[in-house]
Amino acid sequence: MKEGIDYLFTYSNALSHPATRVFLYLIAGAFIAAPLATLALSAKMSEKTRKDVWTRYWTWLVIAPALLVPVLFCPATAIVAVAVASMLCYREYARATGLFRFRSLSAIVAISIVLVALTSLDHWYGMFMALTPLTIVILAATAVLADSPQGFIQRVSLACVAFLLFGSGLGHLGYIANDPNYRPILLLILVSVQLNDIFAYVCGKAFGRRKLFPNTSPNKTLGGHMGALVLTTAFAAGMGHLVFEGTKLDTPWALIVLGLIISIGGQLGDLLLGSIKRDLGIKDMAATLPGHGGFLDRLNSALLVAPATFHLIGYAIGFGLERTPRVFTAAFGM
Amino acid sequence: MMKPGERFRSTRREAGLISVSMNAAATLGVRVYLRLYHRLRIEGAENLPRRVPFIMIANHESHLDALVLVSALPLKARIETHPVAAGDVFFKNGATSLLASLFLNALPLYRKGVTSHALVDLRERVTSGRGGLVLFPEGTRSRDGTMNPFKAGLGMIVAGTSVPVVPCYLDGPFEACPANVKLPRPARITVRVGTPLVFEHEPNSREGWTTVARRCEEAIRALASVQPG
Repeated sequence: MKEGIDYLFTYSNALSHPATRVFLYLIAGAFIAAPLATLALSAKMSEKTRKDVWTRYWTWLVIAPALLVPVLFCPATAIVAVAVASMLCYREYARATGLFRFRSLSAIVAISIVLVALTSLDHWYGMFMALTPLTIVILAATAVLADSPQGFIQRVSLACVAFLLFGSGLGHLGYIANDPNYRPILLLILVSVQLNDIFAYVCGKAFGRRKLFPNTSPNKTLGGHMGALVLTTAFAAGMGHLVFEGTKLDTPWALIVLGLIISIGGQLGDLLLGSIKRDLGIKDMAATLPGHGGFLDRLNSALLVAPATFHLIGYAIGFGLERTPRVFTAAFGM
Repeated sequence: MMKPGERFRSTRREAGLISVSMNAAATLGVRVYLRLYHRLRIEGAENLPRRVPFIMIANHESHLDALVLVSALPLKARIETHPVAAGDVFFKNGATSLLASLFLNALPLYRKGVTSHALVDLRERVTSGRGGLVLFPEGTRSRDGTMNPFKAGLGMIVAGTSVPVVPCYLDGPFEACPANVKLPRPARITVRVGTPLVFEHEPNSREGWTTVARRCEEAIRALASVQPG
C-alpha cells in the first residue's frame, strides 16, 4: 500500500519523459506565436473577430495552466483534475437539460463520478469498468422507485447518457494516470484534440466549401474535416512515436490508427455536443469561460476520444500492469 | 446567457444539488439553534404544508422570522422553500447574494421601483409547483412589535390560484431580536400555524388582491388573539 500511495504522489519525475518536454515547448510556442499571428493578421479581421480572438486567447492563458499543472504534477492530482472536469461538464449538462430537477438521479450520477475517481486512485480496473453497468442499474432502479412513469424513459436516458459521456467516458483520462508513462499519453490526447479543433477551423476557412452537417453545425465543411483529419493524424502519429517509443504501438500503422481515432473521435465529439445543443435550442452550454462558452464547449472533443484511445492503448500496452493493483481496498480484504 | 454570479440574483433561480445540500445543512443548524436558544415551540403543526406549492405568511418582527418559519417545515418541504427576501438588503452585493441564495434558498424582491414582473415570476413559480414561498405581507419588520397593514402584493401572487396560503403568527421574535438589536436575546419564540386559506375564486385584479390581503391579515390577527395553549 505504501508503494502505491507513494506512486500517486510522485512529482519528481514530472518532466523526465522527453515527449512531455516536447509537448510543453510546443504549448509555450503556441502561446507566444498566437498573439503575434493575431497582430499580423489583425488588419484583415473585423473588429468583432479581433475582440473574440483576444478574449479566447486570455481565457486559454487561464485554462491551459489550470488543466496542465494538475495533470503533470502527480497521478493523484491528474485523477482529481479529470474528476473535477467531469463534474463541471455534468453540471452544465444537467442545468441545460433540466436533469438537475431530478435530484436523486442527479446525485447518483455525481456520486458515480466520484467513484470513478476513487477506483482510478485505487488502481482497481475491474471496479472501474463495473461502475458503468452498475450505475445504469442503480439509475434505472431509483427512477422506478419514484413511482412516476411519465417522462421515465427521458429521465433515465438523460442520466445514463450523462454518466456514459462525463463519468465513464471522460473518466478514462483519469485512469490513464495509473500508468507511469501517463503524462505524455494524456498530453498527446489533450493537445491533439485541441489542435484538431484548430486545424478544422483553419482548413475550413482556407478551403472549406461543401457543408457536411448543415443541420447540426452549419459552419463545418468537408475541407475543414479532411484538413483536420490529415494534419491531426500526422501530428498525433509523429508525437505518438516519441510517446510510445519501444512499445508495441510504435509501428507506423498502429500510430496512424491512433491518430485517426483521435481526429475522427474529436470531430464526432464536437458534432455530438453540437447535436445536443441544437436539440436543446442553445448556442453555448454556459458563459463560464469568456469566448469559449462553458467547460463542455471546450472539452466536447475529448468525450469520445478518451475511451476510444484508452482501449487502443490498453489493448496494445495496458496501463500500469507492473504496479500492484487495488492500492487502498486490498488492505480491507474486499 | 447568464453570467455565473447573476444566477444567484435571479428570481427564476432553481436549486441544484450543491445549494440543496448547503440549504439542508444550514436549516438543520438553524433548527438546532432555535430549539436550544429560543426554545422554539410550534402550535398547530398539523397545519404545516407537507408538499409544494404553498405560501407561508406571518407577521414580521425580526430577521429570525423567515428562519423560524422555514425550520418549522418538514425536510422535504424545507429544501423546496424560498424565503422572499428584500433585494436591497440581502442581495445588495455578490457575497450577500451568494449566502442568501446558497444557504437560505432566498429569492430577491426589490422593494423600490417596479416589482410587478418579479411578482409574476413568483406567481409562476408557485402555480407551476416549483416550490414554496415564505413571505411577510407587511413588507418590512415592525419597529414597535405591532402588526402593520398587509400589502396587496401577496394577492398578486395567489389570487385565482389553488395555491394554499398558510397563515402563521409569530410570538417572541420582537423580544428576541428587534430591529435595533445586533445579537439576539434568548427569548422564547412560538409559532402558531393556522388552517390554510385558498383564494381560487378571488379575481386576479386590484379588488381581488385587496381581499386576499384583508383576509390574510384577519386570519393572522385571529391567531394572535388565541390564548397560548
